[in-house]
Order: sequence, then structure tokens, then C-alpha cells
Amino acid sequence: MKATRPWVPYLFLVPAVAVFGFAVLYPVAMTGWYSLTEWNGYGAQVFVGFANYVKIAADTLFAQSFLHVIFYILATLVLEVLVGLILAGIVASRKASLWFRVAIFTPVMLPMVVVAVLWSFVYNPDFGLVNGLLEAVGLGDWQRVWLGDPATALIAICVVSGWVFAGFYMTIFYAAFKQIPSEVIEAAKLDGANEWQLFWRIKVPMIRNAVEVGILLCVTGGFQGFDLFYVLTNGGPYYSTEIPTTYLVRAVFKNGEVGYGSAMAVVLTLVVVVVGLLFARLRRIGAHL
Amino acid sequence: MRLRAPSILITVLLVLVALVFFFPLVWMVLSSFKTNSEIFQTPFALPTSIDFTQWATAWEVGNIGQYALNSIIATATSVLAILAFSSAAAFAFSRYRFRGQGIIMGALALGLLLPLQSYFIAQSTMFRDLYLTDTRLALIIPYTAMGIPLATYLLKVYLDAVPEELFEAARIDGAGDFRLFTLIALPLLKPGIATVAIFSALSSWNEFLLALLYIQDDSLKTIPTGLLAFSSRYVTDYGLLFSALSIITIPMVVIYIVFNKQITEGITAGSLK
Repeated sequence: MKATRPWVPYLFLVPAVAVFGFAVLYPVAMTGWYSLTEWNGYGAQVFVGFANYVKIAADTLFAQSFLHVIFYILATLVLEVLVGLILAGIVASRKASLWFRVAIFTPVMLPMVVVAVLWSFVYNPDFGLVNGLLEAVGLGDWQRVWLGDPATALIAICVVSGWVFAGFYMTIFYAAFKQIPSEVIEAAKLDGANEWQLFWRIKVPMIRNAVEVGILLCVTGGFQGFDLFYVLTNGGPYYSTEIPTTYLVRAVFKNGEVGYGSAMAVVLTLVVVVVGLLFARLRRIGAHL
Repeated sequence: MRLRAPSILITVLLVLVALVFFFPLVWMVLSSFKTNSEIFQTPFALPTSIDFTQWATAWEVGNIGQYALNSIIATATSVLAILAFSSAAAFAFSRYRFRGQGIIMGALALGLLLPLQSYFIAQSTMFRDLYLTDTRLALIIPYTAMGIPLATYLLKVYLDAVPEELFEAARIDGAGDFRLFTLIALPLLKPGIATVAIFSALSSWNEFLLALLYIQDDSLKTIPTGLLAFSSRYVTDYGLLFSALSIITIPMVVIYIVFNKQITEGITAGSLK
């Protein structure tokens, strides 16, 4: 379609581009610039080249924070994506599952802070659900200060994340399972496939696209995690739940290391973008196989 | 066939799973009717009575009404801005060919890929220098900006499916560009707009990191940061905190149960891009 005047299309774009450019693109560029400087946010900004990146390479706490977030991503791939996939498979082959899907999806609706405060009580050593249930079933020895113990804090956070998002992935996969034509399932059954084979060999490959998107969301979303970690442990105890974002937020907003924090943000951004692009490429190659 | 469990067994399993998922929420509501000492002595017992005075106290001292109002203002304003700006942009991308189209679309598409971490540090110093911190705009502007890329992309997909003849016919009848947008494109976009509104509203309503960094003034805090402030002021007043959590959670659960179809569709469409 031709515009009545050549500048008309731009007029429609001005508000969106202006807000996005002002609040996202310009700050992205400035964060990149900050990462090359030493600056406390107020005084003189000193250009230091790649010194911040050299410092990152030697920062064992930053390396650890990356290991923690990778552990978190691997754990949530199981607790969210795999659990969601299996639940969706069970639910999709049954009638009257609406109540179940509603129940499991509910936590997705809640602000993460609400979830985190609630679960800090669930894990409370004195009156919490977890220790109470262990006591009730005679496993009192297993009781822990879940969030206060470096050995259990990280996995405890992963479990909360699973509680929230398993229902989310279940919903995505459920919708995809429902798209599979019933003739395909019938044909496989006639060929003598059992439920297990039917699920892993027929149904899951047929919703491959949804599963791939789910994995991508879980991985890239995992790198950006913050809310649960900040409220539940804020990196502690003894840095056992430190992830890149809790670390860099403290560096920038507590310690005034704006340059160093920005360099960490740039590294994290590159990881997220590269993972996202690699994944898109792998999918394109995979689609030709 | 040995793996095909009887149907009853699977039902029992599903009920158990649902209980595991729902139990923390039920426990939260039950505990909200208990005093602190009851919570400690009998954490699993039913409350002795359903007494809402603790809820009233939590609402009062927790300032929850104020936080909810702030959340509503920030969410409603950003969602309206996202819808207005993105539908206009989607219209331009879908219906016109113009110089620089590819570059502008590419720049917006970056927003689908870039994490919050890529810009919030510089955004915070910029907002500070512009005296935007501790104003409502400090949240409305970034929430709008973050929502625009995905909303524009989804609405463009909707508009691309509209046959060109519809616009040509209106053009022949003498409609200008702006009228084509408001009279033809917007009504056709209604289902897409509903979807975009749902996931934009939820992500603004639940946003935490920026709200934590940009709003120190308690009277401007939204629900997530307000609840956090409340919980650090009353760290050990568990009955009160359970009440506050319940007050925030129950309306959202009710909204979800009533609109579960639209909400699940909105959220899944928003994530599948």
C-alpha cells in the first residue's frame, strides 16, 4: 500500500521507536561504554580500556556465580521442562483435566517476590512445611536449615523455580500435544506401541518445536534469573547461591563499581545473545535433518 | 503393555501432584488466620477460627492498598502505551514499504533478545540524572519500552494476515492513512490486542528488579517491592505476613480461575513469540 505522503509511515513509528530507543537502545550502548571505564557513578569517569574484562577473567567469584547459574539452568530443565513435559503427556490423554491444569498453572500468575516470601516460610526451620513433613513421616534426621545451609540453598531455590514454572511448560506442551492428529496415535497403537513408546517415540518428536522453544526459554530465562535469588538468599550463605545478576547488582548499587558491574552485565548479555542465536541456528540445521 | 497403569492410579497420582502444587498456598491462607504462637506450636493444624482482623491489620500497617494502587497505575499506563505505540508501529511495518524499514525492524527485534541486564545499569544513572527516580515514570517508561518489541511483532503477524483489498477499498472511498489505521486496522486487531494486553499486564504487575532500584519512596512502591519492604519491617510477625501474602494472592487466583482460558492463551502466545 502506498502512503498518501512519504513521511506517514515514520509518523506511525515515532512513539514506539522513541520510547524503545530512549529506555533500551541508548542505555545498552552506554552500559557498553561504562564497561570500559572506572567509575563510581558520580565522580570522574576514567577510561581504562579492557581492564574490567581482564579483572573479570581472574575473578573466581564471578566464575562461581556462572557455575551456579548453570547448575540452576540444568536443574530447572529437569524440574520445569521435563516435569512439565511428562505432566502434559499424562494430562493430554485424559478428559476432565481442566481443574488440574488450573491448579498447576496458578503459581505462574504470582509475583516472584510473593512466591519467594511464601517459600522462605515453607523452608523455615522452625515451623516450615518441609521440615514439618519430614518430621511427620519419620525422617526427622533429614531436617535442615534449607536456605541457610550452603549445601542445600541452591537446590532449594531450584525447587521453588520448579514449583512456579512446571505448570507453565506443562501448559505450552499440553497445547502442542492437543494439535497431534488422533489418526497418528491410533496408527501407532495398532502397530503395538505401548504408552511409553507412544510418548517418547511418537508424541514428543511431534511437538519437537514446542519442546525446543521451551528449552530455549528455560536456558535464556535462567541466565537472567534474579528475583528468587535476591529475596530468598541474596547470594548467601557464603556465596553459595551467588549468580551473575545478584553479584553485579551488589557491585554497582552497593559498592559503586559501575564500570566493573557493567562489564559483568556485558559478559552476561553476550552469553544470553550467543546462546539464543546459536540455538536458532541449531534449530535451522536440525530442521533439515 | 506393562507400563499402562490403571486409570484410577493415574488419577490418584494427578491429585497428589496437584496437592503438592497447591498445598503451600492453602497452608499460607490457613496460617493467615493464626497467631504467631499458633504458627510455631501447631504449624499444620487448622486455625481455631476464621478471623479476618489480622487481614485488616496487615492491610493497614502493610500499606497494601497504596502498593496495589501504584501497581495498577504503573501497569494500566504501560499497557495502554504499549498497545497504542505497538499497534501503530505494527501498522506501519505491515502495510507500508519505506526506506530504513529493515534497520528499524531489526533494532526493535533486538529487544526480543536483549536481557534486562544489558541496559538497566546505564538506565538507572540516566534516570537519576533526569530526576526520574522516585517518580511513576521511572517504572512506566521502562515497562513500556520492554513491552514494545514483542507486542509490535505479534500485532504485525496479525495484521499481515489481513487482505490488502480491505485497505485498498477504504482508500478508494477516500480514507486517509490515519483513518485506515483507526477504522480498519485497529478493529481487526482486537484479538491480538487482548493477548498482548494480558502478557504485558502480567509482566508489568510482577516486575521486581527495576522497581527495587528506581523507587525508594514507600508511597510509590508497587506490590513486589512494597511486600518486600513490609516483610523486612515485620520480619518475625509471621501471622501478619501470611495475611499480607493471602491478600495479594487470592485476588490473582480468582482472576486466573475466571479468565484461565484467555490468560493461558495470552501467556503462552507471549512466550512462544
